[in-house]
Amino acid sequence: MSITDIIGLALPNWTGVESDVTSDKNLFATVSPRDILFFFVGIVIAYILGLIISHHVRMRMSHRLKKDQLDILTGFIRAILIIIAVGLSLPGLLDLSVTIILICIAGVIAIIALSSQKVISNMVAGVALLYESPFATGDYISTGGVEGTVIAVRLFSVRIRTGEGIYVHIPNDQIYSTAVSNVHANVARRFEYRVGIRYQDDTNRAIAIIRQLLEKHTFVLENPAPAVFVSDITADSVLLSIRAWFPSNWQLTKDDISRTTSILPNVKDALEAAGIEMPYGQRVVWFANEPSSVKDPAAGNGQK
Amino acid sequence: MFGRFPLDYSHDDQEIKIRLSDTGSLLKYERECRGSREERYLGRSFSAIHIYPVEPVNLPEPLTQYLEIAFPPVVLPPGAEQTVYVKFPVEIGVFLESNGKQSPLDVFSLVPVKFSLYGLPSSGLITRWFKSDIYPEIPSVDMYREGVMALTLKNCRTENAKVSRAVFDSSSMCLYYGTRVAMTATLEVFSEYLARTTFTDAAPPDCPNRAIDLYRASSFALSTTKGCFMEAGTS
Repeated sequence: MSITDIIGLALPNWTGVESDVTSDKNLFATVSPRDILFFFVGIVIAYILGLIISHHVRMRMSHRLKKDQLDILTGFIRAILIIIAVGLSLPGLLDLSVTIILICIAGVIAIIALSSQKVISNMVAGVALLYESPFATGDYISTGGVEGTVIAVRLFSVRIRTGEGIYVHIPNDQIYSTAVSNVHANVARRFEYRVGIRYQDDTNRAIAIIRQLLEKHTFVLENPAPAVFVSDITADSVLLSIRAWFPSNWQLTKDDISRTTSILPNVKDALEAAGIEMPYGQRVVWFANEPSSVKDPAAGNGQK
Repeated sequence: MFGRFPLDYSHDDQEIKIRLSDTGSLLKYERECRGSREERYLGRSFSAIHIYPVEPVNLPEPLTQYLEIAFPPVVLPPGAEQTVYVKFPVEIGVFLESNGKQSPLDVFSLVPVKFSLYGLPSSGLITRWFKSDIYPEIPSVDMYREGVMALTLKNCRTENAKVSRAVFDSSSMCLYYGTRVAMTATLEVFSEYLARTTFTDAAPPDCPNRAIDLYRASSFALSTTKGCFMEAGTS
């Protein structure tokens, strides 16, 4: 194997038909046990080297990269090493130049691409997803009507476990062309709750009680500070809105039921303990044949 | 309560109860603190129990490795260097010793936990938040609740610097204990939006004992940082 073979500059192989024919004739004729041994030893060395480098990369980068990214990086390193090993040892084994091998690989890839466009489409979307990293393993996402925790991001598909424990397999091209909401992409997340109180209750006192409750809550972030304000005055009640930020990686943040159970029941209990009650729906019904004197609510003795 | 103890150790006061008892083939570890109770059975091959203050970022669940201390604003002139004292929350770690190595068993605290966001939701940090006053001298504290940090503020700017909070990376904390729990740290202000906090691994005179770092004692710890860059300002 000459240097020109290695760097793929074996020009006669590109242009000289006789040379190609000669090469094809001697394709396996010149293979010696030494070449075969060289081929397999090269692969094994590349594999072991890949494992060692991957281990060191994991040790040094695990606090900087997510598991998915580490898997991809180490997989890429190992694949490159194997390709280099094959590239260096195969020409000697088959008596072929690197150029011919690359042409063969390109041909195979072209055939696969033509025969399985959907698979290639998924793969390309998978590479795009890995590059853009809109989510990673462990993130809680919502996409195309599916909501759950990402358990694996693969080259062709994403696997999700829903809150009900159902395994969902989504092809990458589908997920890449759909909007994805990622609960964990930002470190903090805001939720809003609404609580109604009666008209006769002291609004400022209710706000102060709710604020106090939020200040004591471990996972309601100190900054940005929670906000409590009157957001609407409806027919039945004065509506108070509560806006609070939570850490995104708090395990309950992703689950609507869990986050509400920790806040709203406590708000209800605290308000009721202070004599502020949740309002009932109210309707005032006037009978058509009532004397005009009793229609006046200010009179105080109207019949309802 | 801090230190290395034999496996028949027990501690009982109004707030913290720790008890190790022999159940035959196993040891039983029981702990009660602020209404929370922990109970575990241990193999007999352990040789001792250690109780130390640990980095206060582990409870109620490990959400962050950053501790943020908020304090009244301090304005520093250009080039100034000022040492002040602030309090920080104490978390207590229980370790088991086996073959000369300590491994974490339990963490508890008497101090309520509050989290905060330092920076923007998209690029900021979730921090364990603690409000402290500024003290010119070492304040008196309940050592099982609060520690005292000697914080040196350095203004490296050519303008005044206003400092009202500091964010610390727990991976490089150096906790000492003695008559109190203590840390020594530095906050350098480089610009309106950039500062750095670092810890000094030096024992204060009245706190000669170095605590075990939970971060380093844990098997997942691979490296520590050389300080924490605060890229969202100091006020």
